[in-house]
Amino acid sequence: MKFEDTSQNLRARLRFIQILVIVMLGALSVRLYVLQVVRGERYAEIAENQRRRRLPIPAPRGVIFDREGRVIVDSRPIYNVIMSREDVKGKDLNSLILPLAEGLNLDKDILRDYFEVVKTMPAFESILVKQGATPGDIAWVEAHNLEFPELRVEQQPQRRYPDNGSLAHVLGYVGEISPEQLKQQAVKDKGLKPGDIIGLSGIEQIYDDYLRGRDGYREVVVDSRGRIQDQIEIVDPIPGRDLVTTIDLDIQKAAEEQLANSVTKRGVIISMDPNNGEILALASAPTFDPNLFSQRITTREGRAEYAALLNDPETPLLNRAIQSRYPPGSTWKIPMAISGLKQGAITLDHSTLVCGGGITIGNKFTRCMGNHGTPDIKTAITHSCDGYFYRLGLKMGIDGIVEMVDEFDLNKRTGIDLPNEVVSWTPSREFKRRMQPRDPEWRDIDTVYASFGQVYDIITPISLLRTIAGISMDGRLYIPHLLKEVKAFGNPGTPDFRGPVTFQPLDSSRPNPKVVAIPEDIDQAVVEGMWRVVNAGGTGSRIQMAGFDIAGKTGTAQVVGLGKDTGKNKDHSWFVTYAPAYKPEIAMVALIENSGFGGSHAAPAIRGVYDVYYRKTRHEEPPGMVVKQIAKAEPPTPTAAQQTAVVSR
Amino acid sequence: MVAIIHKRSWRDFDWILALLAIGIVLFGTVQIRNAQPTEPYWIKQLIGLAIGLVAMLAIAFTDYRRLLNFAPAFYVFGLILLIVVLIPGFGLRINGQQAWIKVPGIGQFQPSEFVKVTTAMMLARYFGKNRVQALTLKEMIVGGLILGLPIGLILLEPDAGSVLTYLPILAVVLFLSAIKLRLVLASVLIAVVMLPVSYMVGVKTGVIKGYQQERINVIWDPENADRRRVGYHTWQSILTVGEGGLFGSRSSVEHSQSGLKFLPEPHTDFIYAVTAENSGFVGCLLVLLAYVILLSRLITGARRSSDRSGMLFIMAVVGGLTFQIFINIGMALGISPVIGVPLPLMSAGLASLVATFIAIGFAISIQLRRFVN
Repeated sequence: MKFEDTSQNLRARLRFIQILVIVMLGALSVRLYVLQVVRGERYAEIAENQRRRRLPIPAPRGVIFDREGRVIVDSRPIYNVIMSREDVKGKDLNSLILPLAEGLNLDKDILRDYFEVVKTMPAFESILVKQGATPGDIAWVEAHNLEFPELRVEQQPQRRYPDNGSLAHVLGYVGEISPEQLKQQAVKDKGLKPGDIIGLSGIEQIYDDYLRGRDGYREVVVDSRGRIQDQIEIVDPIPGRDLVTTIDLDIQKAAEEQLANSVTKRGVIISMDPNNGEILALASAPTFDPNLFSQRITTREGRAEYAALLNDPETPLLNRAIQSRYPPGSTWKIPMAISGLKQGAITLDHSTLVCGGGITIGNKFTRCMGNHGTPDIKTAITHSCDGYFYRLGLKMGIDGIVEMVDEFDLNKRTGIDLPNEVVSWTPSREFKRRMQPRDPEWRDIDTVYASFGQVYDIITPISLLRTIAGISMDGRLYIPHLLKEVKAFGNPGTPDFRGPVTFQPLDSSRPNPKVVAIPEDIDQAVVEGMWRVVNAGGTGSRIQMAGFDIAGKTGTAQVVGLGKDTGKNKDHSWFVTYAPAYKPEIAMVALIENSGFGGSHAAPAIRGVYDVYYRKTRHEEPPGMVVKQIAKAEPPTPTAAQQTAVVSR
Repeated sequence: MVAIIHKRSWRDFDWILALLAIGIVLFGTVQIRNAQPTEPYWIKQLIGLAIGLVAMLAIAFTDYRRLLNFAPAFYVFGLILLIVVLIPGFGLRINGQQAWIKVPGIGQFQPSEFVKVTTAMMLARYFGKNRVQALTLKEMIVGGLILGLPIGLILLEPDAGSVLTYLPILAVVLFLSAIKLRLVLASVLIAVVMLPVSYMVGVKTGVIKGYQQERINVIWDPENADRRRVGYHTWQSILTVGEGGLFGSRSSVEHSQSGLKFLPEPHTDFIYAVTAENSGFVGCLLVLLAYVILLSRLITGARRSSDRSGMLFIMAVVGGLTFQIFINIGMALGISPVIGVPLPLMSAGLASLVATFIAIGFAISIQLRRFVN
């Protein structure tokens, strides 16, 4: 140093500064080491993740056809407004509610509820803000790109169902997977994630794995505002497989029309091929519009519509064919007749029993609707003689009736490929104990009630149809089903090829068909009795078609006690049938709720469907008079026991 | 005579210092180009380098003592610039700070960067007399005033970040002007105690606002801080630095943190993060090493100075540069709060670059005249 400055330790002070410089920059290098070498990998990964986005490409869902290849359900492309979750991480979602609700014409409250749900869910790719965006919405999103860079418009296939509610209970519907479903392990194993559209009901649910396909994705690089800069990878979606149902749209339409034109517009018609269990038509009225769930459920109107459906006393969401139980009335007499003969309670040679206009058990008289003298089994069926079957029931005893129930699977689900089928209630000692704990003992009067389709017999239409169709097939009870075929996918010989799939019982331990051994002569006798119901002046004779041997049985299911059976509490009207009687092609059941006598309402409805079937298969106008729906009250002549005092359900 | 001086000048010229500075600028220019490949910032930086070199040579071959004699004039000129920048129409407002003067043809420059040099000159001149005794209170007050005037004007812009870089200039000058050590110790002690205390009092009374608090919090725990808003810059910078790893990131320039605009201000405030992403730990260490050597050369030059004022000027520059380097890199590494302080010689910015070269020119000039009296 050129100048004298020893007094201030200048040299030392300079040295100090130099050391300070080195220490400060040295400290920086330590921090650098930590960030780049120690944590480098992790930060690189985080940085990589924040610029990568995986944008799903939804797989088109399989088309659903009828048995003749007509489209029932397909999908059309719609546009959705999506919010990238990565871009709103940490942002206050609530601050978006107002501008989004105004800009996209959404309901504030629904959006707020939805965002609450979103917050509790694990992180995933995107949040669906608006489904089915209009061109105006899309323009709004594009115009507000700077303000809301997290918004994006994506194309998505949307399910389109017949808009008159046709087949709604069969098809079911699709919708967004629920948080509860996502917690299930089976759902997790399928790789489903929030926002995925799955089948929630009907065959959409049962065959979801086939119909759904697998979503593809685009892996892209985005900038800090979420704008796509580059595409790294594209994985094409695997489309869902097309599905051919056993439904015949012509017959289905006929069945739906019959229900729509019925007195109460409430009821069921099921049509099935007894040779294999294929359901040709399944109509349950009233019905609903499944498009509500696939298209409108996120709107205020849609929710109100759904709430109205849930609160509707006529329960339109219920599939009456498999989820409602009704007393079968006199249709119950068919399996009774078979089992009575089989078990030897009566024999074909000595099948006559007294009608007696009714029966007295203890001090209680239960009457028959007519006086049939001493009919044999065929006549008893033809004229639906209650007195005959009271006595047959007593001969069989409760154990005989239980055996019958078991043999015809009436106490089990039919195994139809629809979700949430209920089990019928059938007579047994145990059932009475549960129903009447104050009088738990099974008595003869109970056997009488159980023998003509009331009180202890409360069954689903589908299980009755299966039983009757099985009897028409000499005891072969097929599992009713809706799947004809899942179409093959891909090219044969390639690893992606998937062969066609046909119906398999959901419960693989059940035989299909279940064979009930019925001696041929017994079967013939009962079939003849049923033939006579329509063709020889029986209770269903008004629907006779010459040359097309309809066999059938009417039923009138009592709702309340005698004398009160008017208006809303009228009896349920049943008709169960198959044709031609000796070489069956089609079996059907009709139930019109609270309409009255079976022969006057259910049977003519069935005839309407038979007409369509006949035209379709015989290519000519159906023979016999075209039956008009009868509006005027019928004199309650031949069937059903309407005089029982016991009405407890 | 001129020829002799020139011959000796070229021999005594601090080549290492000059070349190191040029090297850092060129390396920085590459990083600026990486940060903003589509913008002409890197070309402007090269123009700035050319201007800086001319200024450096011009000053190096001028007798610094003559320049220091004019220090008050330069100082006043500097103050005028700081006033001009505040006049609407002359000053350019960017991000709420009126800190730039528009120059036709070149763009804009920041007078507060130049005024650092003139202030250092003024301080060097005032404290440059031979010392016979310890620093007096009067001297300290005058020193404080010399610094206080430009700081006051800069606060009006307002540019608190720049103001911070002025403080070490005075601190170093006072430290080397025989300030009593117990005063130094006392002020360090007070600072150590007062910083957390005033922070806590500030938080309690609400003087320090939530977002400012967050800016401090993010330093301790960047991963759990509010990464979207206040902590965003720091967090993104940390990610960028970390991604560099040992030898630099594998991703392309287009997919880099700056290319996708995750890293804000990549060519200025966060140029070091860009460097880290592209050249990794190795490159970063080399840059730090270059700075250490550069600063050491300057300190060596200060030691060789033939008078106090030369020594003080160089050390004031060292103080200012070191502080800026530490704050800027610390900001990129997430250990100091985000304040807009450029990295000397590397951040894109004409004024900062030219001012630094002027300071280096001074240092070279001082060394060249170490044997003449």
